[in-house]
Amino acid sequence: MGAMEGIAQGFQVAFSLQGILFVLIGVIAGTLIGMMPGLGPISAIAIMIPVTYGMEASVALIMMAGVYYGAVFGGSTSSILLNAPGISGTVASSFDGYPMAQRGEAGKALAIAAISSFVGGTVSVVLLMLFAPMLSQVAVSFGPAQYFALMFLGLTAISSLSDGSTTKALITATIGFMTATIGLDGQTGTSRFTFNNPNLMEGIDFLVIALGLFAIAEVCFLIIKRKDTSLSDQGDIGSLRLSKEDFKEMRGPMTRQSFLGFLLGVLPGAGATIASFIGYISEKRIAKNPEKFGKGSIKGLAAPETANNAATSGAFVPLLSLGIPGSGTTAVMLGALLVLGIQPGPLLVQESPDVFWGIIASMYIGNIFLLILNLPLIPYIAKILKISRPLLISLVIIFSLIGVYSISFNTFDLYVLLFFGVVGYFMRILNFPAAPFILAFILGGMMEQSMRQALTASGGDVMALISDPVSISLYVVSALSFIVPLIRTRKNRPAA
Amino acid sequence: MLKTMNQKVSIFLILLAVGYLYAAYNLKKYPYVPVDADAVPKVLGYLLIGLAIILFFDKSSETEEDKEKRDVPKKEIPIMLGVGGFIFLYIFLLEILGFVVTSALFIFGCSLFLGYSRHVMNAVVSIMVPGVLYVTFTYLLNIILPQGILPF
Repeated sequence: MGAMEGIAQGFQVAFSLQGILFVLIGVIAGTLIGMMPGLGPISAIAIMIPVTYGMEASVALIMMAGVYYGAVFGGSTSSILLNAPGISGTVASSFDGYPMAQRGEAGKALAIAAISSFVGGTVSVVLLMLFAPMLSQVAVSFGPAQYFALMFLGLTAISSLSDGSTTKALITATIGFMTATIGLDGQTGTSRFTFNNPNLMEGIDFLVIALGLFAIAEVCFLIIKRKDTSLSDQGDIGSLRLSKEDFKEMRGPMTRQSFLGFLLGVLPGAGATIASFIGYISEKRIAKNPEKFGKGSIKGLAAPETANNAATSGAFVPLLSLGIPGSGTTAVMLGALLVLGIQPGPLLVQESPDVFWGIIASMYIGNIFLLILNLPLIPYIAKILKISRPLLISLVIIFSLIGVYSISFNTFDLYVLLFFGVVGYFMRILNFPAAPFILAFILGGMMEQSMRQALTASGGDVMALISDPVSISLYVVSALSFIVPLIRTRKNRPAA
Repeated sequence: MLKTMNQKVSIFLILLAVGYLYAAYNLKKYPYVPVDADAVPKVLGYLLIGLAIILFFDKSSETEEDKEKRDVPKKEIPIMLGVGGFIFLYIFLLEILGFVVTSALFIFGCSLFLGYSRHVMNAVVSIMVPGVLYVTFTYLLNIILPQGILPF
């Protein structure tokens, strides 16, 4: 069967009445689960696996695609409306989404998120169809040295994540990296900075830090402003309708980040989180008005939303072509495929083209349904903002606490959450940006491991880190991404 | 001596880095490991000291907006500490009384403490939200939350 025939067959299955019904169920279930504190696409897919028992493989996969995209969108809503990102991939969406919601444009922010997600997801599915076998070869050629260079590129973006002092951004990033070193060392098994506390052996979970620095810190400000009724008194949550100018502003980031996000998603381990941060940062770097970022910029919201969705499709490249899951979500997806009796790998496209193309077609359909279903629901979802402040404060605290508890089942993590909430509050009042902390926490641990693996493999030869064209190119891009904004800032500085 | 807030913060950061470095130097070392577990922490510790020193001598002055951010009304401090106390109590009681009872008490008590005066609505939300969350997590998602004193 040729590729075109395969695609046609895939779409035929996806567009059947049964296919449409199950994608509908999947999108609704995924969105609801994704909105739950602490539950992201991984949990959503895992939870839905038992539901697919006995189903026809192609239909089950269509439902899974709906669950997947629904969960990613559901995660964005809590980021945008409450500044409480439930999963790491939606942290960057809160940088501009939350300020937009705060100034009464919650509907618009959610619409931008939905449309950007749709574009990112759809473009990347087309790219997946075209380049899956070829890109998988490139992805597996990435070794520890190349990953180190990639993480380094991510870290050079730290200065872009701060409006004010670069020193402060670097300080918070350093502390974020230091926090990532807590726990058992992956290479030697040394217990680092745990003070013999068994609860710290596995390190601190990302969610504890993200909810602490963002949601609990925000609660402190909500407490101070709890009598300010300006937001809840608004007659509306703002129109969902986007103007021509809004679309014009979204067009650039959506186009660029669809491609960049997809490429980053293809790399095993990079995934939606790094794609969303790099998407946000790269758009800020090239923006004409970078000062608008972090204050409710349309580009600042469209970029990470497009990138994280594009990356989620990109992550399917190594899964479908090589049978290697490159992210947590695709690992669970691999489990789901195996349960359905499908073995992903190089032979999948030859032996079961209907399944291969069926999965891709179902992702496309999942995206369309997500948009059709969620846009009308946005006014109801955004009503969260109209809840009275004292009640909203209590609910945000409960959601954060239970989100953390549901991943660790340990009350110690709740105390750590409270601690990071206090840290986040002080960081905000002292003008230390929280985003570099999160970025360094996520990238730092991976960067350290990649560097040490590369050096162990080369017997301690530092040149191993800079000896191949891919790494050198990444270092050059890193240097440029650090130097170019500095030159631009100097040029823009008025003469004394 | 410490005139600006940046200087006060930088002293705190230096103390934090020194403590971190002390712990890093006391990590167990292994022979024949090209980069041991203490290498990166040591670099990070010294980097933080360096950055804290730069911050100490940072001459950029604070804007009025920056100062305003720090200006928390004194009467709000006990309220914030009170909410912190509520959270502590919640964490302590969560596994004893169970998710539904503790959460219901927390939502009602905390909202009341923060000045929410619609008591009937408060009571309905306090019971409904934990109830729905408990049923969803425990029965639909198979994520077991503490049952506590309730029989289900």
